[in-house]
Amino acid sequence: MPDEQKPEGSEGPPPAQGEAPKPQAKPAAPAAKPAPPKPAAPAPKPPAVMMAMPWDSDLARDLKERFPGRVLATSTYLGQNFIVATPEGAIPVLEFLKLEADFDYLVDITAVDWPKRAERFDLVYVVYSFPRNERVRIKTAIADGFHPQTAVDVHLTANWLEREVFDMFGIEFAGHPDMRRILMPEEWEGYPLRKDYSIIQQDQRWVRENLGIESGQ
Amino acid sequence: MPDATFLDSTELVLNMGPQHPSTHGVLRVILKLDGEKVLGTDCVIGYLHRGVEKIAENRTYTQFNPYVDRMDYVAAISNGLGYCLAVEKLLNVEAPPRAQAVRVILTELNRIASHLIWLGTHALDIGAVTPLFYCFREREEALKIFENYCGARLTTHAFRIGGLQYETYEGFEREVKAFCKMFGPKVDEYEELLTNNRIWMGRLKGVGVLSADECKEYGVTGPMLRAAGVKWDLRKAQPYSGYEKYDFEIPTRENGDTYDRYVVRMQEMRQAARIVEQAVENIPEGPILGKVGKVIKPPVGEAYVSIEAPKGELGYYVVSDGSTQPYRVRVRPPSFVNLQALDRMVRGGLIADVVAVIGTLDIVLGEVDR
Amino acid sequence: MVKLLKKIFLWDLIAGLKVTFRNQNPKYICTEQYPAERPKVAERYRGAPRLNINPDNGETLCISCNLCALACPEDLIVVTSERNEQTKRKDLTTFTYDLSRCMFCGLCEDACPVDALELTQDFELATYTREGQIWDRQMLEEGPRPTRYKC
Repeated sequence: MPDEQKPEGSEGPPPAQGEAPKPQAKPAAPAAKPAPPKPAAPAPKPPAVMMAMPWDSDLARDLKERFPGRVLATSTYLGQNFIVATPEGAIPVLEFLKLEADFDYLVDITAVDWPKRAERFDLVYVVYSFPRNERVRIKTAIADGFHPQTAVDVHLTANWLEREVFDMFGIEFAGHPDMRRILMPEEWEGYPLRKDYSIIQQDQRWVRENLGIESGQ
Repeated sequence: MPDATFLDSTELVLNMGPQHPSTHGVLRVILKLDGEKVLGTDCVIGYLHRGVEKIAENRTYTQFNPYVDRMDYVAAISNGLGYCLAVEKLLNVEAPPRAQAVRVILTELNRIASHLIWLGTHALDIGAVTPLFYCFREREEALKIFENYCGARLTTHAFRIGGLQYETYEGFEREVKAFCKMFGPKVDEYEELLTNNRIWMGRLKGVGVLSADECKEYGVTGPMLRAAGVKWDLRKAQPYSGYEKYDFEIPTRENGDTYDRYVVRMQEMRQAARIVEQAVENIPEGPILGKVGKVIKPPVGEAYVSIEAPKGELGYYVVSDGSTQPYRVRVRPPSFVNLQALDRMVRGGLIADVVAVIGTLDIVLGEVDR
Repeated sequence: MVKLLKKIFLWDLIAGLKVTFRNQNPKYICTEQYPAERPKVAERYRGAPRLNINPDNGETLCISCNLCALACPEDLIVVTSERNEQTKRKDLTTFTYDLSRCMFCGLCEDACPVDALELTQDFELATYTREGQIWDRQMLEEGPRPTRYKC
C-alpha cells in the first residue's frame, strides 16, 4: 500500500523536505495485480475481466450486417452500450452512425493505455444522438505507432480532441489538419498519459532551457 | 510595381493573452487581423495544465475526489457530483434519497454561483462595471451556504462516493429558502440593468452566432446549444440524482447569438432557484451515505457518466482494473470543447467582438487545461 | 409609440441607474473591515490543522495509527512512533504536516479514528519562509498565532 502512495504531486514545487524521489511504482505496477481485461495473462487465477453482456438491438444487428469483419462485437456494460471495431472500421462506423443513425454529436475521443497488450491503446469514441437520446461508445484497439484515420472529416469536434490524444498518448492521426500538441509545450518530449511515464517525470531539458531552473524532481 | 490605388492591407498578427483580463484566465489567442477585422484565430492553451488525469491514476478513488474541484473551480460542486456519479456507476450503487436531494440543492446553488461569475465578468468585459459587484454580492450568499455546509467556499469537496460526508447543518433549510427568496428579485435587478440597455444590446446582438447545426458539429453543449434552439438538457434527457422529480423548464432561444445566450443563462438561474426551492421543501429523512465500503474497489469495467454542468456536458470516463486506484479517468470538459468553436464564432467579425465572444463562451481555464 | 418615446428619453439607461442608486443605500454595504474586524468563519471551516491534546492530562490524543498519512492525497503527513514497552502501545514521537501542499480537503480529519487531528477555523497561515509551512508536533498542538490588529 505505501508503495502506491506517490510522494509528490505531479508538477508541484521542489519537495519541501528535500526528500529524494522514491522509486516510483513502475509503469505496469497498477496493472500488475489485476490483469487488464483483454490479454489472458498466465496467472494462477483467471484475470478479472469486464463482465460485459452482448448488446442486441436493431442498431447492433444493423451494424454487424453493414460492417462484417469490421465490427467485432457489440456489448453492453452497466447499461452502457459499446461497439468494438477494428482500427480501420472505426471511422466508417462513426460515419454510418452520424449519417444514418442520427448519432450527430461526438462527445469525446480518448485513449486508454494497456502497455502489456500487443495492441497497446484502446481508442474510445463516445457519440450521442439527440433524436434517440442514446449514447454509444466505439472502441478500437490499436498498436503503438499505428496511425488511425482522423475523425475530423466526420465531426469537427474531433480536431482538438484528437490533438489532445496525440499530446497525451502520442497517437498520430492520419489526415488530421493540425497535428500539434495542445496542452503540453510543443517541444516537450514524452507522452504524459502513457503508463510508462512516471507521475513525477519531466522533460528535464525543456525545463532547463525554457524556465532556466533545474527541475527539483 | 504594386497596385497603389488601395491601401496596403497586410495581415497583422496580434497576441491576446495569456495575461489579458478578458480571457478569464491564461488563454492566449493569436489573432490574425486585417484592420479591425478578424481573419482567423489560433488558441494556445495549456498554461494551467496540471495533469489531473495523470494524478487520478496515482491516487485512490477517494483521494482523487478533491482534485476534481480544481478543474472548474467556479463550479466545483458540479465537478464533484459528476465524479461521484461515475464511480457510483462503476460500483453499481446509488446515493440514498436524502443525499440526492442535498446534492441537487448544492449543485443548483453552484450553478447559480457559476452563472453569477459569468454574468459579472461578461458584463465587465463589455464595459458594464456595476453588475460585477452585485453578482459577487449574491454569490457570496451562496458561498456562505457552502462554507457552512462543508467548510470550504470554492474547492468544496462536498460529496463523497456513495453519498455525502456531512449531514446538513442546523438552519440549512432556512438559509437556502432565504437565498431563493432573496435571489429572484436580484435577477430582476440585473435584468433591469442589462436586458434593455442599448449599449448591451448593441454589443451583443448578432455577435458570435452559432446555429444549432454548427453547435452539434462542434460538440458545443450547455446554454450555448440551448440559445441556438435545441431543447436539450441532460437533467431532462437522462436524469441523474433525482432530477426527474423536480419541475423545471429548459429555457431556449432561437438566434444563437451572444444576446440569446445571455437571456438563456439568466433564465437558467431562475430555473435553478426554482429547483432548489422544490428540493429544499422536502428533503427526505434517512441515511446520507450509501452502501460503499471504506475502501472503494470497483470491479473491472468502465463507465461514461455525464452531467449537465453550468458550462455544458461534463463527462467522466472511468476505467477500473479492479484495484483501489482508477486505471484511467478521462474528463470530458465542456469548456475545452466549447472553446474550439471560438474560431468559427469570431472569424469575419470585429476585434472588439472577440472579447464579447470569449465572455459568452463561459470558459474556465482550469477546466480547459485540467 | 411608447417604445420610441422610451428610446428618445433614454428610459433603458434611467431604469438601470435607478437600480444603481437604490443599491447605494448604506444598509446594503457589505464590506468587511478585515483585519480590524475579524470575519466569522463557519463552524465546519477547514483551516489550519490541529493535533488535539487531552485537556485533563495534557497528553496527545493521537494513537499514531498512521491512517491520516495514508488517507492524505498529497502524502504530506509523516507520523513516527515508537513502541512503549510498559503500556504495549505506540507512542507518538514526531508528527509533521506540510501545509504548503495541503489542499484542506479534510480527508485526514475524516480518517482519524480518535478525533485527534482536526481542521480548525484558523485561516491565517501565511509565513515568510517555505520551511515555516512545515508544521511540527508542537506547532500543530499550539496552533498559529496570527497578529491581531487594533484599529
